[in-house]
Amino acid sequence: MAIVERHRIYEGTRIPSPIPTVLEVPADLRASDDILQVNFGPNHPSTHGVLRLVVDLDGEKVVGLHAVIGYLHTGFEKSMESKTWWKGITFPERIDYVAFQNNEYVFVAAIEKLLGMEVPPKATWMRTLLCELNRIHSHLIWLGTSGLELGAISMFWYAFREREQILDLFELVTGYRMHTRYFQAGGLAEDIPRGFYPECRKFVERMPKAVDDYEAILDRNEIWMERTQGLGLLSAADAIALGQTGPVLRASGVDWDLRRQQPYLAYDQVDFVVPVYPNGDVYDRYRVHMDEMRQSTRIVAQCLDRLERMEGEPWIADDRKVVLPPREELHTSMESLIHHFKIVTEGYRVPEGEVYVTIESPRGELGCYVVSDGGPKPWRVKFRAPSFVALEATATCMADAYVADMIAVVGSLDTVMGEVDR
Amino acid sequence: MSYEGVPGLVETNDAYGETTLVVVSARLVEACTYLRDEEGFDMLSDLTPTDYLGWGAKGVAGYIGTVSGRDLNHPGSQGLQALPERKPKRFSVNYHLLAIRPGAPRLRVQVWVEDGEPVPSVVSVWPTADWHEREAYDLMGIRFEGHPNLARIILEDDWEGYPLRKDYPIGGEPVRFSGEE
Amino acid sequence: MAVSGRPKRLREYGLKSERVLWPTKGPGAFEQEVGDLESSLGLTTLDKAVAWAQTKSMWPDTFGLACCAIEMMAIVSSRYDIARFGMEAFRSSPRQADLLIVSGRVAHKMAAPLRQIYDQMLEPKWVIAMGACASSGGMFNNYTTLQGVDKIVAVDIYVPGCPPRPEALMEGIIRLHERVQAGIPPAYEVRGVAS
Repeated sequence: MAIVERHRIYEGTRIPSPIPTVLEVPADLRASDDILQVNFGPNHPSTHGVLRLVVDLDGEKVVGLHAVIGYLHTGFEKSMESKTWWKGITFPERIDYVAFQNNEYVFVAAIEKLLGMEVPPKATWMRTLLCELNRIHSHLIWLGTSGLELGAISMFWYAFREREQILDLFELVTGYRMHTRYFQAGGLAEDIPRGFYPECRKFVERMPKAVDDYEAILDRNEIWMERTQGLGLLSAADAIALGQTGPVLRASGVDWDLRRQQPYLAYDQVDFVVPVYPNGDVYDRYRVHMDEMRQSTRIVAQCLDRLERMEGEPWIADDRKVVLPPREELHTSMESLIHHFKIVTEGYRVPEGEVYVTIESPRGELGCYVVSDGGPKPWRVKFRAPSFVALEATATCMADAYVADMIAVVGSLDTVMGEVDR
Repeated sequence: MSYEGVPGLVETNDAYGETTLVVVSARLVEACTYLRDEEGFDMLSDLTPTDYLGWGAKGVAGYIGTVSGRDLNHPGSQGLQALPERKPKRFSVNYHLLAIRPGAPRLRVQVWVEDGEPVPSVVSVWPTADWHEREAYDLMGIRFEGHPNLARIILEDDWEGYPLRKDYPIGGEPVRFSGEE
Repeated sequence: MAVSGRPKRLREYGLKSERVLWPTKGPGAFEQEVGDLESSLGLTTLDKAVAWAQTKSMWPDTFGLACCAIEMMAIVSSRYDIARFGMEAFRSSPRQADLLIVSGRVAHKMAAPLRQIYDQMLEPKWVIAMGACASSGGMFNNYTTLQGVDKIVAVDIYVPGCPPRPEALMEGIIRLHERVQAGIPPAYEVRGVAS
């Protein structure tokens, strides 16, 4: 079994019942009239976005909790049913707007699975590199905002300093900082520009020292440890029952990472360590994030080693029914012109079927369920968002905690509300 | 892998490397408990409802062969239009299961229901189904029997209608010349 | 330099902006309008002083909704540094905030809290609709996304982009400062809410 829980985090289960996601105030306490119901409304300084928590307090202790979501519902799934496969790739990026390329990738992977397309190795390695850079980007934002919420305000500026370097790299490759729309069904939209590899190398050299800086600020900081250790406990069994994946599951002692267990892209050809911690508290989730940043930097370095030897190779598959032909060919070849026209106006057709593709996004298992009717537009697209599931664990993690801990716990679950509400 | 012993099993489909078990909705909880306890699928990864209203209403015509040998239509159809196979009922509720063990085996359990027909809730099997079922009810209108708190979760409490259904309009403002009016 | 009557250079309007550092740039349409308004409104020294003070520490409200919020956080970070405009103090309480930067898509469910926050802000208050979704609904033309935040609040500045670069948001903020210093009243006085 993949569980390395060396000690029981707590006995039994703390999942509330009858409703697993709602902490109910015990009847006698409610009758005593000491309960104050406070609304942590959709607009609040904790920068996780528009989450509303309705909390019942007995003094400072949280005795009742339920979450209200839906304040960022954008209708992605309905919108994508009316856009062709090609044009629809811009939508998933905005679902988890912090790890955008992972979202892009999962949708493109579902299309490629239905089409049965082979992706050239250069595209695979570059996608791996970009997904890992995106992982570092996501963890940096998490670190900066979590530190900010718990009072370690300077963390925000340190983390965003490196984030700017990553966004510079994205801009160099794709032309845009966020929501890059660089992945296509079959590979990448364009070749990797010259000058990317040395810049990325510089980043890879600087990043480990930056993580050292962050750890120097927070790791052994007494206030940080006091505010994060022993809080938000989640045992491995409860985590699996609640569908948790990603750093939350790994901090509860379960050695589960889809990059290792179900390798996709080029993860089976790179060397990295999956961090697992046994205590299931907020501090361990923080440690998992920090270690993952280091490991992602290692993966990026290995991808660079490989990519530097792949100059001149194709970056997208050759299937002209799905992939746009190169621009020069449009002047000389009639078939290319027709293909271009059909792909842009009607869109390529994806065979009938349904697939469910999962990847390891920075938040956990990100899944994309696609149903195709054989036409140019999807019939149904559903994204399994790890943050949606992570919020279900709030009630369990908050059993027996104070209101000040709530910010730490909800922050450690690393939720992005765009994903939760879709 | 064969799942012969699953209670209520109607048929098994294998496509694109994924196994789908179609199960009778009356015995869903039994089947899920069996899969969790006997087969080891301890995590419910996703719960997705799909609306097949209008499926197969228009034919799909495509090319016969491609460079990679992929054939959209069945061989021998000469490129004439093919209709997708009819579905048994209007809604399918898909449960994507995952076993936390090496190899990461995955499984899809599929249940077919008509409009208004309730589906038994699997919250007692996997607590994570709580919000997934609420979302399925909210956006698609599928009632889950035995759910402790079946209320709208994503839309406002007084919203009328179920947006992800195929007969619900996409809404928004009309945009001139966009071809989507 | 001014040849006759109407000034031609940005610094002659008395405005301070980074474009002053770009000597070859002539006044764009915006500056022309601002200059026209200023000369027609005929502000007094006290009004100018008050407007100067308002722009030099216009505190935004923390109203980050979606992707644009991440770019809004980026202007607080050290590279783009909004603190040099006196605006790094993002207030959580709308009572203490002057500027509402609506950054991100607004769902119908969120429209009521948005209007409530806007109502709780004290006059004078300004609104920047950051990004395509706040300006017009963006790429989401559907049942749940508000097609532009100007349907419920009066907007001063629209910053396009998806998400706009931090420099683009900075330009929006600087234009807002220039409008305020030129004496243009906040949007709620000039126009109501769009229909």
